Amino acid sequence: MEVLSDLLTKTNLVVFVNDNDWVWPACEMLHFVGMSLLIGTVGLVDLRILGVGKGLPIARLEKLIPWGVAGFAMNAVTGFMFVAGNPVGGPIEYLMNMSLQIKMLLVLIAGINLLAFYLTPIARGVESVEPSGDAARGAKIVAAVSLVTWFGVIFFGRLIMYNDTLLYALGL
Amino acid sequence: MTEMLTWLEGTTIATFVRESSSLLAYTTVLSLHAMGLAIVVGINTAISLRLLGFAPGIPVAPLIKLFPLMYLGFTINAISGVGLFMARANEMIGNSMFIAKIVFVLLGVVSIELLRTNVFSHGVVLESGSLPPRTKLFATLSIVCWALAIISGRLTSYPYFVASLLGL
Repeated sequence: MEVLSDLLTKTNLVVFVNDNDWVWPACEMLHFVGMSLLIGTVGLVDLRILGVGKGLPIARLEKLIPWGVAGFAMNAVTGFMFVAGNPVGGPIEYLMNMSLQIKMLLVLIAGINLLAFYLTPIARGVESVEPSGDAARGAKIVAAVSLVTWFGVIFFGRLIMYNDTLLYALGL
Repeated sequence: MTEMLTWLEGTTIATFVRESSSLLAYTTVLSLHAMGLAIVVGINTAISLRLLGFAPGIPVAPLIKLFPLMYLGFTINAISGVGLFMARANEMIGNSMFIAKIVFVLLGVVSIELLRTNVFSHGVVLESGSLPPRTKLFATLSIVCWALAIISGRLTSYPYFVASLLGL
């Protein structure tokens, strides 16, 4: 973690954040917009697979997913900014933050889950479902995992600033 | 006014949200507020993008089924928002960005209802594969309202930055 922290400190983003008042709030806004894009597209496909919004063909809804990927990219960039440019305590403060660590683990699980969806026959099975039809059980499990992990990402993301509450709840 | 706000801050709910060290207090209410936001703005953006011509393969008429979902997100945020407001009523009422945010949220809800009455109520037009007039205008309006709600909502946390921005 310290090696990574030193590396991030070398980006000098802390100086950039400190010298420009607008950078942090602007990144936060983009982070929330990116979050909405991801939930509104990937989450929407997940919900349809689970049976919400029948009449909407899943394969067509998937055409919105590039917007969710764009949202994820926005959040990867702004999130990097938050960690590398943290004006209070520097990168190490965030890297050692348990809420952030759990959040990143959940992002990783969501990513693996997405790969499982596209690299197995599950994705193709889902695309042939009728507009008002039911998806297979395997697809529903993947969709449920996706929703739980992304909303978990939001939960632990909001907790980063209140990490003490988490540690207190866990008795640490 | 101040008396009422101070009374609000002293209620059991407000005190719990503000002062309890429980994970279920301030942090969970704040998280729910972010989740509700993602649902309302996310689904609204998806619907609006389709109306603007993206992902043209998606049939428009059944998108109306997503409206209750937007209102579910809105309800989560109305309830969590009241809790967050009560915890810091005096501070929030004096925050210009908070007032702006409430205005944009209300305009956002109006924009959702405008989509319902001006686009989705024209079932016959939608079934024929075309869109009612001014559909793109209403979709753009909705995206803009909710984006401004997010921007002003985030700025509630930076009153000093806003003051210097406005030259105050």
